[in-house]
This record gives sequence, structure tokens and C-alpha cells, in this order.
Amino acid sequence: MTRVVAAARAGLREYRRTPVLLALFLALPAYSVGLFARLAPDEPAALYLGDGAVRAGMPETFAALMTPMAAALAAGVAGLFLLSSSADADARLVTAGYRPTEVVLARLGQLSVVATAVSAVAVAVALTTFTPDHLGWFAAATLLAALVYGALGTLAGAVLSRMAGVYLVLFGTLADLFLFQNPLARDAPDGAAALPGNVPVAVAMDAAFAGGADLGEFAVGVAYLLAVVAAAAVAFYRSARG
Amino acid sequence: MSAFGTGARLRLLEFVREPTTAALLLVLPPVVVEVYGEAMASFPALPGTTGDPGTTGRIIGALFAAAFLAGLVGLFQAVSARGTDERLHRCGAGRASLLGARVVTMATVAAVAAAVSLAALARTVDVAAPLAAFGALALGALVYGLFGVLVGALLPRQLEGSLVLVFLVDFDNVLASGVLDVGGTVAQVAPLYHPHALFEAAVTDGTVPVDHALGGVAYAAVLLALAFVAYVRVAGGEPA
Repeated sequence: MTRVVAAARAGLREYRRTPVLLALFLALPAYSVGLFARLAPDEPAALYLGDGAVRAGMPETFAALMTPMAAALAAGVAGLFLLSSSADADARLVTAGYRPTEVVLARLGQLSVVATAVSAVAVAVALTTFTPDHLGWFAAATLLAALVYGALGTLAGAVLSRMAGVYLVLFGTLADLFLFQNPLARDAPDGAAALPGNVPVAVAMDAAFAGGADLGEFAVGVAYLLAVVAAAAVAFYRSARG
Repeated sequence: MSAFGTGARLRLLEFVREPTTAALLLVLPPVVVEVYGEAMASFPALPGTTGDPGTTGRIIGALFAAAFLAGLVGLFQAVSARGTDERLHRCGAGRASLLGARVVTMATVAAVAAAVSLAALARTVDVAAPLAAFGALALGALVYGLFGVLVGALLPRQLEGSLVLVFLVDFDNVLASGVLDVGGTVAQVAPLYHPHALFEAAVTDGTVPVDHALGGVAYAAVLLALAFVAYVRVAGGEPA
């Protein structure tokens, strides 16, 4: 376990050595959530959640919607670049005696730290606009969105060039979280329930405006997360084995 | 052939040699147009737009498909210019022609992406003035491409540049969707404000609003000047 932590720390130290990157990881989600919460007109909106409609202010609605989205975008881009930027170092670690599974655990740990950090920033900024009915569920849903998209970003990095991967992460996140899962839409579009953002946004909205969240629904989201993390682990494993 | 022509040809060859990137150019715009159209069709009347939400979604999808692809090409061109272009400059190539080759590559991709996006849109939406619509799409793609060049010149690596570009698109996308009607000057600073207005007018009623055309061209000209200054100042940096 010590070796896993050491490898993950070394990866995180690389981020710390790039202050611009560190600042962007923290500032961009904060800007995204804060800006839209302040730009939204102070009007009521009808939100179509799973069990019916509730009313909330547009600033609160946008703060709640942009929080998982900003975290997912930042984590998705981080995951995309993590695999390709660490491939050579991971292969050297394996040559030096690390087991590939240790390298995989280290990279997944590194991605989890990034996802947690961007989620924490996004939630903290959202709290300057409104207080969710259930903060714990809201934060958990945001982290779930970041982890799922972080792992999906890693998969995109494994099969696509960086440019194609960034394109896919951006449009996937925007289309899924902002368009398909948007609670301002009366009827969810076909296929919305199968998309990665479905559970995180539903749980975040329920936690923000409907008094709490459904544990069963969250469990489905965690199962989805485990599936994409398993696929990302395979990608890291293959990369570490060279 | 001049250094400018050789450079532009070389960059374009690099682009089309990467199969996933070339596929991206042809496959993703139609997918994005349809996804945006289907997704926005389920919204009620949007506060920031008029007309059918599904059509609005397809119009936005076409614009973003072209613009963001050009933005990414501009970004990756500028990042890869570090070091490489400095060596070429030491060998005698002028900075203007080196940047020009990068911009021409980006502009060519912008034009192709605009054509593909427009063709994808025209499959399901009647485009009132196709030529004006193409011009608006190409302008939007050029604006984002220059933004990409500017970001790539200022930020040293692809990861940082991608993050900035992604969140810029996020901002632009939400404003352009009409889901959030902010109005006023905030909306007008969004990179796609003028191209979006031009494109929507060209598609729906076949007009070309002169104020938006001038605003969009001025926006692109300012970005080109900023990109050139940033490029000249940082082109001597080491590659990412």
C-alpha cells in the first residue's frame, strides 16, 4: 500500500509543481458555478424531478445544475490527460518492480483526489448561492458525477487522440448533464436514463430541492461508477504493461 | 514554394494523417446536431430564444460542432508551435509566416467543419440562406480557432489549454442555448454571440444582420491581433 501511495503522491506532486494547472482546477469550476448562479435572472422556475414538479429560483437551479457539471468537466479532462501523460512513467514503474495493479490503484487514487478537490470547490461555491435541502447527498452526487466522468475521460484517453478526447469529453458532458438531464425540461429525451449523468443529476436535484435523495437510485449510480472504473482500470493496466 | 505555403501544407498533412482527428471532423458534427436537436426538443419554450426548441437545438449544435473543433485545432496548433516554430525561425522563417501557416491550417479545418455542420443541419432544417449560413458558421469557427491559438500561446500545455477552452465553451453553450436569458453586455462578450445571431438569422429568415456581421468580424480581428502578439512573445518556449 505504501508504494501505491508513493506513486499517487508523485503524480499529485506533478500537479502541484504546475501552479497554473492547480489554479485552473480550482478556479474554473468555481467560475462556472458562481457565474451562472449570478447571471441567472431572479425568477421562479418549474423543475421536473422524478416524483413531480417543484418550484425553485433560477439562480438556485443553475447553481445546483452547474455544480455536478463543472466537477464532471474538470475531472473528465483530468482523466483524459492522466492516462497519456503517465503512460511512460507507469511503464518505468513496472520495469522497476511495481506490480501493474499497484500502478493502476495509484492512478485511480490520483484521479479520485482531483475529482474530490474539484467537487469540493464546486459545492463550496454553490453554497454561496443556496443551501441544498440535504448537503451530504448533494455533495455525494457531485462527487459521483466527477468520478464517473473522470473514469470516462480516462477511457476516452485510452482510445482517442487528445484532441478527439477533449472534443468528446466536452460534448458528452454538456449534452448529458446540461441538455439530457436538465430538470427544466418537462420530459426527459429518449435515452436520458441510460446516460452517465442521469443518477448524479437526479440525486443532486432531489438533494437540493426535494428534501433528500433515494438510496436505491444512488446505489445504481455507484454501480455505474464501478463499471466505468473497472473499464478505466483495464485501460491503465494495459498502459502500465506497455 | 514559400515557407508559408510549405508550413500550411505540412500542418494540414499532419492533421489528415491522424485518422481519429479526420474522422472527428466528418462524423461528430452530424451527431452533435442531432443530439442537440433531440435533447432541446424536450424543453418547454425557452426564455432566451424564439421558435421551436428542437430547431434551436440543431442550430446551436451545428455552430458548436464547427466552432469547438476549430478551437481545439487552434489550441493544439499553438501548443505544438512552441519550440518547433522557434527552431524554424532561427533557420530563417519569419514569425508572421509561421503563425500564418498555423492560422491557415485552423481556418481550413474551420471551413470544412462549417460545411459538414451545415450539411448535417440541412438534412432536417430548411436553411433559408445557405451561403450566409455557411459564412456565419465559418466566422464562429474562426473566432473559436483564434481563441484556441490565443489560449495555446498563453498556456504552456495541452491540459491547461483544454481546461480553459472547455469552460469557455461551457459558458458560451449555456448562454447560446436560450435556457438562461441573461441579456445585456454579458451575453455580448460571449465569443459566439455575433456568429450565433448571424447563423440563426441566415437559417430562419435568410437575412444578414449587418451589426452582427461587423461585430463578429471585429471580434475575430481583435483575437487575431492578440493571438499574434501572444504567439510572438511565447513562441520561443519549450514544447509541451
